[in-house]
Amino acid sequence: MLDRLGEAVSVVLGALAIAYLVYEIDRRKRRLRDLFHVLDGTEADISADLLNMVESGELKPFFRETPA
Amino acid sequence: MPKSLSGTEQPRRPRRRTNASSKRAPAANPGAPPEAGDSPIAAEATPSDVATISQPIEPATATTEIVRELPARPRKAVRIRKYKPPAAPRFRICIIDSGWNAVARRALRHNFSLIRRLHKEELLYLLSRKKSAEFIRRHRSLIGRDPIIAVHDLEAIREHGTTGFHGFHLHLGIMRAPRQALIALQNFVQFVATHRHSENLEAEIRAELRREGIIGAVEILFHKAPRALGG
Repeated sequence: MLDRLGEAVSVVLGALAIAYLVYEIDRRKRRLRDLFHVLDGTEADISADLLNMVESGELKPFFRETPA
Repeated sequence: MPKSLSGTEQPRRPRRRTNASSKRAPAANPGAPPEAGDSPIAAEATPSDVATISQPIEPATATTEIVRELPARPRKAVRIRKYKPPAAPRFRICIIDSGWNAVARRALRHNFSLIRRLHKEELLYLLSRKKSAEFIRRHRSLIGRDPIIAVHDLEAIREHGTTGFHGFHLHLGIMRAPRQALIALQNFVQFVATHRHSENLEAEIRAELRREGIIGAVEILFHKAPRALGG
């Protein structure tokens, strides 16, 4: 009886450990992809808006006047 | 050695000297900040100062208080460099920051001039706080992610516009610790600098993310302290 209970506890603990690993890896992966977010068609409107601002002259290239 | 005079301090009261005949160098320190040169500086008697002496000098026991106005140091003429756009920019970098995240904002502001210097070949656009807020208001998915560094791959945009891969965003605002924000910024600067001649930027970004992910998984397995990026 005790042997079987011990086995069951080990299995549950092992499953929990694996689940934690999977969760943690997935969390980090999502966080990393959120930090370095690759732009594709889904963000086309955001990029197009920025491009329009540049092309319309609303945004000017940054240039600090520095002593020569 | 005389102490340097800073611009914020009051000019010192001239010392009373009992021996008027001894000569010393003027108190001005050549290494002092430029503000010091503009303020009146106490100096001691020299033969040429006779006209400015306020009291008659008695040869042996004279106690003199002499204040000499040094001429203001002529400022260097500031030559203004004209803006020359980079010859062949690969990326267009836009910085969007409405001022949310104090930590990431500070990391960005403190290192901005260095980033600018390291990316002279690229076009850099800095949105004002007001414009950033307006922009984020139009694109609400970006709320809470700024400061955002948007990097547009001009080559990809020339080829197929913004429909396919055309760059990436660095969402610095999701970083909560200063160290994390700084490391993310450094990684970003390094990545842009080393991949500006890349032929397939998308594949390289995805490979880099995969590599980071694998390293992160190994770190979890070995119970190491989480890396700044994935952690």
